[in-house]
Amino acid sequence: MTTDRAPTSTLSITYDDKTPRLFLIATVVWGIVAMAVGALIASQLNYWRLNFNMEWLSFGRLRPLHTNAAIFAFVGNMMFAGIYYSTQRLCRVRTASDLLSKIHFWGWQAIIVAAAVTLPLGYTRGKEYAELIWPINLAVAAIWVVFAINFFWTLKKRNEPSLYVALWFYIATIITVAMLYIVNHLQIPTGLLHSYPVFGGVQDALVQWWYGHNAVAFFLTTPILGIMYYFLPKAVDRPVYSYRLSIVHFWSLVFIYIWAGPHHLLNTDLPKWLQMVGMWFSLMLWAPSWGGMLNGLLTLRGAWDKLRTDPVVKFFVVGVTFYGMSTFEGPLLSIRAVNSLSHYTDWTIGHVHSGTLGWNGFMAAGMIYWLAPRLWGTELWSKKLADFHFWIGLVGILLYVSSMWVSGIMQGLLLNATNADGTLLEYGEYVETIQYIQYPMLARLIGGVFYLLGFSLLAVNFFQTIRKGKPVDSTVEVAALNPVEADADQMKWREVIFSDPIFLFMLGIVLLLGVFFLPPFANTLALILFIPVTIKGVVTFQRSNKTWAAWYERLCANWMPFSVLALISVAIGGAVQIIPTITVNRAANIEGRLQELYTPLELAGRDIYVSEGCYNCHSQMIRTLVPEVMRYGDYSRIGESIYDHPFQWGSKRTGPDLAREGGKRSDAWHYNHLMDPRMVTGSIMPSYAWLAEKDTDIKALPAKIGVQRMLGVPYPAMTNHEIEQNAIEQATKITQNLRQPPATIYADPNKQIVAVIAYLQKLGSYKVLDPVKHEPALLGLPDQTRPKAEPETEASTAAPEAEPSTTTN
Amino acid sequence: MSEGSPSKATPSPGSTPELREHVYDGIQEYDQKLPNWWLWTFYLAIIGFFVWWLMYYSAGWFEKDGIGVDAKIAEINEKKAKELEAMMATLDDAVLWKMSRNPLITAKGQATFEVTCVACHGKDLSATMGGAKLTGLPLNDTEWKYGANPMDIFKIVSKGSPDVTKGMIAWEPSLGPAKVAEVVAYVLSYHQPPEGVEVK
Repeated sequence: MTTDRAPTSTLSITYDDKTPRLFLIATVVWGIVAMAVGALIASQLNYWRLNFNMEWLSFGRLRPLHTNAAIFAFVGNMMFAGIYYSTQRLCRVRTASDLLSKIHFWGWQAIIVAAAVTLPLGYTRGKEYAELIWPINLAVAAIWVVFAINFFWTLKKRNEPSLYVALWFYIATIITVAMLYIVNHLQIPTGLLHSYPVFGGVQDALVQWWYGHNAVAFFLTTPILGIMYYFLPKAVDRPVYSYRLSIVHFWSLVFIYIWAGPHHLLNTDLPKWLQMVGMWFSLMLWAPSWGGMLNGLLTLRGAWDKLRTDPVVKFFVVGVTFYGMSTFEGPLLSIRAVNSLSHYTDWTIGHVHSGTLGWNGFMAAGMIYWLAPRLWGTELWSKKLADFHFWIGLVGILLYVSSMWVSGIMQGLLLNATNADGTLLEYGEYVETIQYIQYPMLARLIGGVFYLLGFSLLAVNFFQTIRKGKPVDSTVEVAALNPVEADADQMKWREVIFSDPIFLFMLGIVLLLGVFFLPPFANTLALILFIPVTIKGVVTFQRSNKTWAAWYERLCANWMPFSVLALISVAIGGAVQIIPTITVNRAANIEGRLQELYTPLELAGRDIYVSEGCYNCHSQMIRTLVPEVMRYGDYSRIGESIYDHPFQWGSKRTGPDLAREGGKRSDAWHYNHLMDPRMVTGSIMPSYAWLAEKDTDIKALPAKIGVQRMLGVPYPAMTNHEIEQNAIEQATKITQNLRQPPATIYADPNKQIVAVIAYLQKLGSYKVLDPVKHEPALLGLPDQTRPKAEPETEASTAAPEAEPSTTTN
Repeated sequence: MSEGSPSKATPSPGSTPELREHVYDGIQEYDQKLPNWWLWTFYLAIIGFFVWWLMYYSAGWFEKDGIGVDAKIAEINEKKAKELEAMMATLDDAVLWKMSRNPLITAKGQATFEVTCVACHGKDLSATMGGAKLTGLPLNDTEWKYGANPMDIFKIVSKGSPDVTKGMIAWEPSLGPAKVAEVVAYVLSYHQPPEGVEVK
């Protein structure tokens, strides 16, 4: 209800509190599932026997289940509960459609169940947090659209003219997740359960981490910030600290976040300019993120005493503090020098868990303890138990995060250690470093179990509260909104676009892109023009402070222009990074090396590798760093993975990198190793004995190769018969190889293990191409920063000695 | 507090922040100024980006990644080649036999062997594990596919078998010649030197 206007007519509104109740129950149930799977896979890293020699329970298949359950099932349901509860109240209206709410709830649960069935069965797309197969992707997109319609329709029907900051964050979430999800799930099916993503190699890597990073940003951060802005002031009964901080941190957060994706690919063969953008936008992101933390924590001023007594406030305060901690750690890890040590280690694992367990998990707990009594019209069953949950959860998460720091930093240092004169690695075998992180990993497991225990106590408390109370839907009297009178949703597009702040901002962005992309001199010109535009912006802002403030307040009363501006701000970063990378001529951008095509059998082996989730522990990316080259061989070049759909660069090494594994060891070694990895002393890899029992699906190969060809992989024309024959011949050759003494292994050529060996032996094969003709250049972008594969020729050294940006196709 | 009622707004001590009029479902907002230290971390990061970009692409002040790595690796390889040369000058069959009788050396060799070699040759050099045959050749018998002299063994361990997909990989690049010699000494400790070789 607004206090500043006399109501024209009053309405009695009964909120739909059934939907938040359902989502809340789902949050608790799936939260337990996600954390329990997490505890299981963490223990598998300490005790390999807990893989139970069963394919459905192996680490590679369960880890995607854990991440998807934590993100989409636990935090997803929590977010929906919070959004459905608060949006109705902030809009002073019942959710637009009960039917859509129902479809949303049950559809989302069906998707989760489908994921929980398909992932352990090995049906996966092999891209992190985007593993679900294409039929489920379609369902996710459809349900998200249902959610979006329901939400925006509710905004349209609202009785509150102005949109509160929580709603800004919800709007950004819904729009951005839709955009990210669609682009990263562009794919062509090869059958009902399998598809290849349309992007390959470096392009797929860029799109994947644009998505992956922003899944964290717009699925795990922005909706929870919205929830913080609603529930925290409610819980502490204090005004929000600063409205203008809300504005500045909201817009800077949504604009900058989207650019930071490449910080997942630092020191790889991703073009340098993208790495630089990824690193620096991550550093810029520190302040906007802390803006959210400040607004949360400083809202408590004058109410800190509640921290002693109210478990809800305890959870919120620690949740927001963890948000601040992990958004400080994030930029730190994005500095290339720090990242060269931390990347691929447990440090990253600790970082994401301080986000999901510390920030999301504690915010979820606070929200659940606050909502349950209100939604079921009773008191919380036990405040003491909630307090105990708080302490055991806090100890758990601290143990988790700190042991991952120890593990990550230690393993990073061990892997980089050399002898005194720097010629040999101290720990030449990757597996030698594993023994040193066993205890930190065990401490992590204990921390995780504590956290799970705490959350189980929440479940008990929650269900006892439900039993004690009975569902209540609150009813309020509200003033009906007359949009014309209240000047809501009346803004003209012209006013939106040609107003000073927007126009100057857009002009600034265009000039800034000119600085990045234009050839020399033109980019200097753009920079020279950019400076007065910035000054003009600052001066106008100082002078017409009041007008801008009034303009923004009008914008907040107009949901449609607000949403469009949010869409534009999140679209820019992705467009700038992705469009040049995918429109560039692939064949010309390979750094002098071109990947050899997989034979049909090798392709089948690769699909098995992806389906078993090998990428969860093995990267295929030798970074441009000295210790990496000493350990794994020459650093990877763009052209070497150009035909990989999906890319398999990986994000974590629990085992060694495999980018140049091909031809390093004998077929027999791989056979024995897959059957029983314990032949390598200290190995924690699960056994893959079932690969020797299951047949390779050779019949599916023609369709797969057909799709690969559609995606631009230059396979020669082959009949179905030729493809199958080729696969069988290669498999037979490998089995003959295996039969030779001393190993004398009798293997069946039809089995998956043979295909996997064929694939592993192919890794790292490439042709060297003329480096002059195939010079990397992204639309004249300054990324020719790495030497070519071949020694420089006369022709290339004779090129003018100008900035790198002069090199074009 | 009953839902929908405005929250009590008492200005925090030491400041008189402006409380905005609008109330959203009982939630009010102050309009505090942005903290200066916060603004400056933000500005500095933005300025840093521009400065770095210009230094890299326009001024060319930083070495390109790959070039630096290539140079360092070339330097390492040169050093290693020298070390190998120095090592080879001191090594022959008799020296290796002698090393094989030195418990300090064979203990070091064993430590390396148990990390890098057991996967194929077995802990007891029999190329079996729990009765099952491993990938490698047994090293505790008298049959030597690539030559029985210590220097032959040193060579196969260093350089690997001619066809890696059917045999052993080259160990010298990752172990270095000194460790290879220790491993060979350890293997030789399972064998007796031929007549005429003085080991004591």
